[in-house]
Amino acid sequence: MAIELSNLSFSYGTSLEKPLLDIPEWSVGDGEQVFIHGPSGSGKSTLLNLLSGILTPNKGCVSVMGQSLGDLSSRQRDRFRANHVGYIFQQFNLIPYLDAIDNVRLAIHFSKKSTNSDSSADIKALLATFDINESHWEKPVSTLSIGQQQRIAIARAMINKPELLIADEPTSSLDQKNRDIFMGELLELVKRQKTSLLFVSHDMSLASYFNRVDALSDINQAGGRA
Amino acid sequence: MFLRLAERSLLNRKGSVILTVLAMSVSVFVLLGVEHMREQTKESFRGTVSGVDLIVGARTGSLNLLLYSVFRMGSPTNNIDWNSYQQIASSSKVAWAIPISLGDSHKGFRVMGTTTDYFKHFSYGKKYSLQFSEGKPFDGVFDVVLGSKVAKKLDYSLGDRIVLAHGLGQTSFSLHDDRPFRVVGILEATGTPVDQAVHVSLQGIEAIHIDWTQGVKMPGSKITTEQLLAQELTPKSITAFMLGLTSSMATFRVQRDINQYRKEPLTAILPGVALAELWQMMGVMENTLRLVSSLVFIAALLGLSAMMLASIREREHEIHLLRVVGASPVFIFLLIEMEAMLISLVSILIGAGSLYSALLLAEGFLSSSFGLHIGTSILSETNLMFMGLVVVATLLAAALPSFFAYKTAKSG
Repeated sequence: MAIELSNLSFSYGTSLEKPLLDIPEWSVGDGEQVFIHGPSGSGKSTLLNLLSGILTPNKGCVSVMGQSLGDLSSRQRDRFRANHVGYIFQQFNLIPYLDAIDNVRLAIHFSKKSTNSDSSADIKALLATFDINESHWEKPVSTLSIGQQQRIAIARAMINKPELLIADEPTSSLDQKNRDIFMGELLELVKRQKTSLLFVSHDMSLASYFNRVDALSDINQAGGRA
Repeated sequence: MFLRLAERSLLNRKGSVILTVLAMSVSVFVLLGVEHMREQTKESFRGTVSGVDLIVGARTGSLNLLLYSVFRMGSPTNNIDWNSYQQIASSSKVAWAIPISLGDSHKGFRVMGTTTDYFKHFSYGKKYSLQFSEGKPFDGVFDVVLGSKVAKKLDYSLGDRIVLAHGLGQTSFSLHDDRPFRVVGILEATGTPVDQAVHVSLQGIEAIHIDWTQGVKMPGSKITTEQLLAQELTPKSITAFMLGLTSSMATFRVQRDINQYRKEPLTAILPGVALAELWQMMGVMENTLRLVSSLVFIAALLGLSAMMLASIREREHEIHLLRVVGASPVFIFLLIEMEAMLISLVSILIGAGSLYSALLLAEGFLSSSFGLHIGTSILSETNLMFMGLVVVATLLAAALPSFFAYKTAKSG
């Protein structure tokens, strides 16, 4: 299983009576592509932070690729995330003052223990497959177009060949045409690499790209807090 | 990657970072500058007299004796009999002796009667002896050697005739105008009170007072200069004298002997000890300067802390992104500390660099106009320690914003 949640409960602060998230049972299979929708403030970002191990649940178990995150130290969770989970956001996908190569290199930096620093060739090859023009490799990414930035973000997310890719509203900043191109490329990529995809959005029109569509309010028993 | 991230992040916020670096640089400049000047003045002050083992005057406090004999400030309490001087100077333990006779002045500069031994044996700083920039030591009774500042300020050159005034006032009415002196030598600048002295021979002092009684010129009694020169002109008394001993081991013995001298009450002081005592009295000023410079530094640190703290708020997304890519909260903490350290290192470089160039530029000016010899070697042990302290203090000041970033990182 790519993701398995059981008896998960989370709340900010200490008010355990009214948790933000309360998920008895939920899972995503290996290589599965799942679309989760829910209005803003429903706990989507919190769920994603729990899955990536940045936050830890008050109760219950989060397991990613068969590894229970609760069994890892916070440092091990950081390393695990770097190695196994790719992440794409709506905005701020990239460190604006670094160039494309450094942004991707950053992801390598935090992954496997001792990567030889001569990963530049790999990075350049990857950027090329994502259709990023060579003249843009060494410019600060803030000078590039949104579409280019999103493609560099996918390259960054995929450089460590993660088994799970989490996409958090990645299309909100794109127009209709770019959004369709982006979705096509993304789905084609995860299918090719057999990566599980968890796609979170409030935009129901994107649901048509996915076989499995879950509403967060259905999974989350805490509900009614929207 | 870590260093690159810190460096790029700072470059990305050029405006606020440059201002912070400037504030820090100024404070480093002040901090190091004050410390450097303090050490240099102290050294130059302590070097006002060197190579002199003992200074002897009529019984008085050691500071008073030092002030009037070396700094030519204040008035001597009493004179020393010429015979006492001769007896002590002829002791086997004494290598050389320089008599000093004070009491007259020239346009506010004090006149010092002495012998040519003064130019031979007196030294200052790191045992530098007196050098003539022009001319030579006095030879005749009415020859005068000027300190560099006297010559410069009054615009005198060799051969000029000057008239000494009785007493120490700047506008004395009793002039020794019947016996003018001729400038035969001008000394190099030393940065010590020597620069402000007018040197004449003891005979010269004797000659201009020969027809004076009780500090008043006697009308009617007129001795011609020719008659004067024919006389022996041995002084009856002097103000003080400096001693060089054959062995400095004997210093305390000789000092005790002089202090217990039977024929008249005398005081002998070790100039180094008395100078250190005098310097200690200026400790308050020293500490005030240090306090002010550290306050300036603290203000700059607070500025840095505020700038960093404000930046964390703008960088919440960036911090979250770094976390998602795999950075630990500790990495975020260290990143902010690293940025602060880079700022402090650059500031130290700029601060110390500009201090060095400022000293280099001012060196000539300071030594010619004030006789202040300020070295440019600012990398003293104390200053290196200060630089280390600047880095440590910066890391401490950045701890708050770094911790803030750590907490932001932790909460996702």
